[in-house]
Amino acid sequence: MIAVAIDIGGTFTDLVGFDDKAGRFVDAKSLTTPHNLVQGIIDCLRQSGIEASTVDELIHGSTIAINTLIERTGAKTALVVTAGTRDVYIIGRGNRPEAYNLLFHRHRPLVPRHLTREVAERVLASGEIEAPLDRAGVEQVARALAEEGVEAVAICFLHSYVNPTHERAAGDIIRAALPNAYLSLSHEILREYREFERTSTTVVNAYIGRKVGGYVRVLKSELAGIGFAGDLSIMRSNGGVMTPEVAQERPVAMMESGPVGGIIASAKVGEKLGYRNVISFDMGGTTAKASLIRDAEPTMAPGYHVGGYASGHPVMVPMIDVVEIGAGGGSIAWRDDIGALKVGPQSAGADPGPICYRGGGTEPTITDANVVLGRLDPNNFLGGTMQLDADGARRGIEEAIAKPLKMTATQAAQAIIDIAVNKMSLCVREVSVEKGYDPRDFVIFASGGAGPLHVLAIARELHIPTVVVPLFPSHFSALGMLLADERHDFIRTFYSDLASADFGKLIEVHEEMVARAQAGLRHSKDAIQQVHLDLRYTGQEFTLAVPVTMAQLKNGDHRAIRTAFDRLYEQRYAHHSPDEPVEMLNIRLAVIGKRPKLTFPKKRSYRHPSAHSRPVYLGNADKPLSCPIYAREALAAGRRIAGPALIVEHGTTTVLYAGDRCRVAPSGELIIAVGESR
Amino acid sequence: MSKAAIKNSKSAKGVRGEASRQSSGRHGVRLDPVTLEVIRNALPAIANEMAADLQRTSYNMMIYEVRDFCTALVDPKGQLISQNVGGVSHFVADLGVVIIDGMKRYGENGFAPGDVIITNHQAVAGQHLNNVVIYMPYFYRGRLLMFAMVRAHWIDIGGTSTGFGAGPQVADPWLEGLQLDQLKIYRKGELDETLYRVLKDNIRFPESSLGDMKSQMAACRLAARRMDELFEKYGQDTILAAIDRIFDETERKCRNVVAQLPDGVYEASASIDDDGVRKGEPVPIHVKITIQGSSMTIDLSGCSAERKAAINSRTLAGARVAYKALTGPLEPVNEGSFRALKVIIPEGNIMMARFPAPMAGWSAIVPTVVDCIVAALAKAMPERVPAGHHGLLGGAVVFFGLHPKTGRRFVVQSLEGGGWGGRPTEDGESGTVSVCQGDVRNGSIEGIELKCPVLVESRALRQDSCGAGKYRGGLGIDMRVRNLVEGHWNFEQTRRALCPPWGLWGGMPGEPGGYLLRLPQENEFRPLGGARLPVPVGASAIVRTGGGGGWGDPWERDPALVINDVREEFVSRKAARELYGVVLSDDLTLDAAATEALRRQMRAKSVRAPPQARSSRGA
Repeated sequence: MIAVAIDIGGTFTDLVGFDDKAGRFVDAKSLTTPHNLVQGIIDCLRQSGIEASTVDELIHGSTIAINTLIERTGAKTALVVTAGTRDVYIIGRGNRPEAYNLLFHRHRPLVPRHLTREVAERVLASGEIEAPLDRAGVEQVARALAEEGVEAVAICFLHSYVNPTHERAAGDIIRAALPNAYLSLSHEILREYREFERTSTTVVNAYIGRKVGGYVRVLKSELAGIGFAGDLSIMRSNGGVMTPEVAQERPVAMMESGPVGGIIASAKVGEKLGYRNVISFDMGGTTAKASLIRDAEPTMAPGYHVGGYASGHPVMVPMIDVVEIGAGGGSIAWRDDIGALKVGPQSAGADPGPICYRGGGTEPTITDANVVLGRLDPNNFLGGTMQLDADGARRGIEEAIAKPLKMTATQAAQAIIDIAVNKMSLCVREVSVEKGYDPRDFVIFASGGAGPLHVLAIARELHIPTVVVPLFPSHFSALGMLLADERHDFIRTFYSDLASADFGKLIEVHEEMVARAQAGLRHSKDAIQQVHLDLRYTGQEFTLAVPVTMAQLKNGDHRAIRTAFDRLYEQRYAHHSPDEPVEMLNIRLAVIGKRPKLTFPKKRSYRHPSAHSRPVYLGNADKPLSCPIYAREALAAGRRIAGPALIVEHGTTTVLYAGDRCRVAPSGELIIAVGESR
Repeated sequence: MSKAAIKNSKSAKGVRGEASRQSSGRHGVRLDPVTLEVIRNALPAIANEMAADLQRTSYNMMIYEVRDFCTALVDPKGQLISQNVGGVSHFVADLGVVIIDGMKRYGENGFAPGDVIITNHQAVAGQHLNNVVIYMPYFYRGRLLMFAMVRAHWIDIGGTSTGFGAGPQVADPWLEGLQLDQLKIYRKGELDETLYRVLKDNIRFPESSLGDMKSQMAACRLAARRMDELFEKYGQDTILAAIDRIFDETERKCRNVVAQLPDGVYEASASIDDDGVRKGEPVPIHVKITIQGSSMTIDLSGCSAERKAAINSRTLAGARVAYKALTGPLEPVNEGSFRALKVIIPEGNIMMARFPAPMAGWSAIVPTVVDCIVAALAKAMPERVPAGHHGLLGGAVVFFGLHPKTGRRFVVQSLEGGGWGGRPTEDGESGTVSVCQGDVRNGSIEGIELKCPVLVESRALRQDSCGAGKYRGGLGIDMRVRNLVEGHWNFEQTRRALCPPWGLWGGMPGEPGGYLLRLPQENEFRPLGGARLPVPVGASAIVRTGGGGGWGDPWERDPALVINDVREEFVSRKAARELYGVVLSDDLTLDAAATEALRRQMRAKSVRAPPQARSSRGA
């Protein structure tokens, strides 16, 4: 079969296609066309030379959802809430994470207050109905909203996560009155307590729904127009894919659909190579991202704040846990008001870009530092398609950094790299050490244009013994989409003492979730279910998600579940309290539909000439060494290379230091034993 | 200084530190900019990691929601090496005094690895007794180099301290709770069983508080592990030299900001209605700030003398929070952050009270003091100073009792934010916690109702509670709660009614907050104050927070903004007309001519456009 993945990023649209009969990969890159994303996809497909009618499956990740929110170009949205809670969405949690900032900003609501309407109804925490739904009131609100010309409506009633009847009934009335509006009911988006976070998530879904829905529809029809008749799947933030129909219903689930591809790829390729514990590290033009994969499973987070914790929008939809920092190839090196050297988070981006790109950039960047140190070849960048200005990069670093700090240009360039490496190490640390995992037990996968350039320095810093540079490191996200399974996540609040929990009822809830999952599932054969309970010691607020088996649920084996919780707690926080009572907050279900596995070809062996050399500063900023340079495509399986060396390919360069030992895996990945790490 | 340490500092691993790009520092160590930057990032990261760990394992909403704690590394001289970011701001850099006192008590050789010290004594710590400090000495190769410390608000410390802490009526520390004066609860890793029993038997929720103690100790141990890694890598001398450099550079940054302000003396006043005991007698707040070159002196001598009510403290927090907000709000805190600041508070002042002056409500006046200092500097840094904010530690929602069905004790706790002042380019934020609180979150309605037998009837912004201005203040909140079982309310009156959140540059004051109650048979809510007020089933309470002051002349407010405020019902039509002079037709279109005429007429009538806030004398 032929599968194609297309990943739209900020700058480029990447395509990776794979024909498993021919055992052949195809890749393509085209500039992202922000005003007509679908056109960019069609262009990229054309450029790849793949005939659309031969494609069996097309997987797509896109920035459309997050951009609609960040650029605030979504629908005119209304919000309908329980009487007394009109301002919950504005007030939020009332917090100021920037504690000393007098000029702080809270989140900026996507729905104005005059389009937030209250209706009389009340459900209690137990699910009992305290006051019936005022249906006439809802009808009145619906008429008013129709008059206002709203395009989308979110409904969020208190405690609808336990009893959604009022929300459903109000939804029916609104749908009847505004048949063309996009409607989101909070219990269908997030069935978890905490009204502000649920409201925010539901509002975001409604706000972006029309636009994303329209995009998916156009994509489908344009693809059909060029003869595509296979299955279209959309990448979602939880690392799985979904059908276009589910994406239209829950666009909020595709918010982070781009970056997760690389993490899935790290997990899958890692598993294939026999590495089940992997840190995925992706460094592009503006940011670096790290994520932890344990036992071949990416770590999940219950949600995040789009736009940052201090003033962003909470979106509580399960997603792969990623830590991101402002350090990419384009990150600017600068001196603060007391002269300390800093790198990022400001980025020269693609425009004007680093000085060496000749796009008018004047501030030195990490990429410029790599050019000055000889690690990037000005004559062989992006396969020689772009001639870099090495003198300009050197002058820029001299003026801005080296002279004021009384260093040479190469010393300054090395200092820039060192600081960036330290920042990225802290980022990798955040996903590992700070969560109780020892990075020495992990293998680090490097992707993105700048990842392989810096990964060995980071691995040293954190004593990570093994580095893998996979195939297609600069198309890695798209590759991951080819490998992703179908995945649907559900959560239900089920508040109870663990020891006295009604497991019969819990199983009923579980079955309801399974039924919902099945409705949207395409690959239902051999689908896997994962169940977690969110548990905590009674009196605590934060929970740990503890994996449980169906047998444990069916037998009501609260003791075994409790032991698992204690053990997880001990691992995470280095202490636990076996005598304290434990309570349950939520039950989580993930249903994973297995997509057909792709079998990658074995690496063909080439017979190629040995490397040439050029001077590169590696390890000593005062004296370059004559460094062997290898072309990656020329490296046969089983080939061994000892550092110092550079391995150059289209889109990136792997930097090996003295002591590093690299071998080429049968399937083509570079597997590097990090030198001198303790 | 050991040579091995210097070698370590280069990390000798080839990747970094290859060059001689170094400058000389103290301890005879030459620091390269990279090592310095790495250590600069690592130290706050340790404190933040301690905080995250504490918060996630705590049993106590004061820690996991209110974030009423701080984590820090302090050297044996009491200098702050690093502190967590994002928690309660009035704990800024205030653990040094505890270490100076501890070193005096035990001597330099009086600490051993495995010691855990517990303390909350007001003669030194100067806060309410609920704030319990746990600290552990950190040794590297046998030398005492620093202390890992966690202060956290325990849910109970005996006496009258349950919940947010005892009220102003508590006359002395013995009535307030247990006093712990630099006691070793662990000696060389061994628990002092007697002390543990005393704690356990004299606090109400021992499982919660002793659980928090466990979490505090775990956070200190975590810090020790992280410090070990850092010392192993860079060596003792390099790290100590880097810390000195970081202090110096932080000081220089602050001085750079202050140097840009015109030299002079700036003053402002405000007041608290009364101290909660002597009703009707205001508590004066007066601040005097002297700027000279890059130095700032904040003199709080003009504030009230210590009181026989529990609103006293021994703290530099008022001055320091303000200084930090003005000099480097987004930078991590360390000892250097306050070296260029001189704070004058004479002994016997309400913020330098002498033991045993009661301190149960120690932080109540601090936000007002901070705001007053900020207001005084409005002329010096007009682009950075907002009008007055609600000035309180939030509207405290505290209802407690015994659940008749479960037989368990329950406490409803939430802190509701209020309005912030308008600012130089935009309106103030609504419903947000005070300047002394950072990442403090309100309780979610659903979370409260899941745990406690109450029904939250509304959490709503208060129309027109904002001070009018070219940029108006933010709105306060009404949180209305009906109790489904009988119980007790704590209504700690806000006491800023006579000195509401002030306006700036012609802006008007915001409306103060308060507490109201309606019993089941009553039709109207009535204002009420007091602790432990018993109420029957079905009563409703309103916890009301104040609005922020306005910034600039309301008659200069863009009518389009006023129209939007009316459409959004932040501001009433009446206020639009009477305060802003904006005339609107029924469909919210502007009558431009009538508006201009009305504004002209209003200006002509008033000598000085619109009435000034009573307490904005500093501006």
